[in-house]
Amino acid sequence: MLAGVARGDHEAFEAVYDQLAGPVYGLVRKVLRDPAQSEEIAQEVLLEVWRTASRFDPDRGSAAAWVMTIAHRRAVDRVRSEAAAALREQKVLPGPVTGEDVAELVETALDRQRVRRCLGTLTTLQAESVKLAYYGGYTYAQVAELLGVALGTVKTRIRDGLIRMRDCMEVTW
Amino acid sequence: MSVQRHELHTLTGSYALDALASPERAAFEKHLDRCDTCADEVRGLRETAARLAMATAIAPPREMRQRVLAAAPLTRQLPPPGRNLLPGRNLLPGRNLLPRPGRRDGPRRVRPSQAGVTAAILALAAAVVFLFVTQVATQHQLRQVQASSRAIAAVLAAPDARVESMTASVGGTVTAVMSLTRHEAVISSAGVPALPGGKVYQLWVMGPAAPRSAGLLPASRAGITVPVLAEGVRPGDRLGISVEPAGGTARPTTAPVVVMPVPA
Repeated sequence: MLAGVARGDHEAFEAVYDQLAGPVYGLVRKVLRDPAQSEEIAQEVLLEVWRTASRFDPDRGSAAAWVMTIAHRRAVDRVRSEAAAALREQKVLPGPVTGEDVAELVETALDRQRVRRCLGTLTTLQAESVKLAYYGGYTYAQVAELLGVALGTVKTRIRDGLIRMRDCMEVTW
Repeated sequence: MSVQRHELHTLTGSYALDALASPERAAFEKHLDRCDTCADEVRGLRETAARLAMATAIAPPREMRQRVLAAAPLTRQLPPPGRNLLPGRNLLPGRNLLPRPGRRDGPRRVRPSQAGVTAAILALAAAVVFLFVTQVATQHQLRQVQASSRAIAAVLAAPDARVESMTASVGGTVTAVMSLTRHEAVISSAGVPALPGGKVYQLWVMGPAAPRSAGLLPASRAGITVPVLAEGVRPGDRLGISVEPAGGTARPTTAPVVVMPVPA
């Protein structure tokens, strides 16, 4: 489908939109929280997909992963530039992330169920580290500070946790 | 500060989750180019992260769909990368693919490949979309807007599209996207002061013969005028904007507030 988008096929882009706008918006919103900013970033991400579709290489990963990587990177860049500005102003650390907003989720119940089940197979520290890093948009150094553990511990917990998630969800890349 | 190789390797997880601060991210990307096992692992972990992302899906605001789909045809797409890219480099949609805002330093001429063009085109696209959602009241109007949007999109998408931007003498910026193969230009403005009633900004194509009217700039909304199309634009012409009585005139009657050369 992204190959069609790269050729300027508008219908292909509509199909991509309908398939991925929900996850893009959901992920950006999870990280940014603010609905207006999330909408702005999600729009930018989806237009970026249109603009750079020719750079997607199916041999290097799935279309969903490519799009979600753009979305997450954008959301995180926004968070960090804002956090940097706030730190310069008044030295505040970003507030902690609260539990999942399960009630907000409307689709992809199966994905959610599987993710939740697999997160359940992780140790508490692994699961917390992965969630804070990905859904919270924190650097591993910030995660270490939030959880009160050593830097090296967080690095390995994030990697071990993700590897366990990968195997649990039978990701084949 | 030197970091051990195996220590770098444990960063695959944090990298896949964008949990590295920028200096460390750059260092790790350098390492990725040389470490195939790391690249493989990152790939799998990114796929895993994508599953975490899919699980967060929520319905976006309904208007977002219309805005994004309307902006796409007005947004020029990148050509395929070709074969001469280093094999490892386009592994990830990295920073180098994201558009950067163009610098603002007065009148300048840029090649279509530069990032500033992207910014200008996105601004124009945003203006058109803005028109779509705020000004369109009837089906008839919608059809008119769609027709002019198509013409404007054709200029923005032209392979030879060039962007020129200039400061007007009255303040604000006038931006033109020109295609010499199409002999057309799309002009919009931002921050140009509103005029009192009875006055309008009129757009002129000034060639070897007498200046020719290319229509009136629409009243600005939120400081931005919706793009207008000028036809019959030749190399060496100039585009001008002057203040004229409401309804426009056949010949300019005041000194132009901006004169923009069309590259030869």
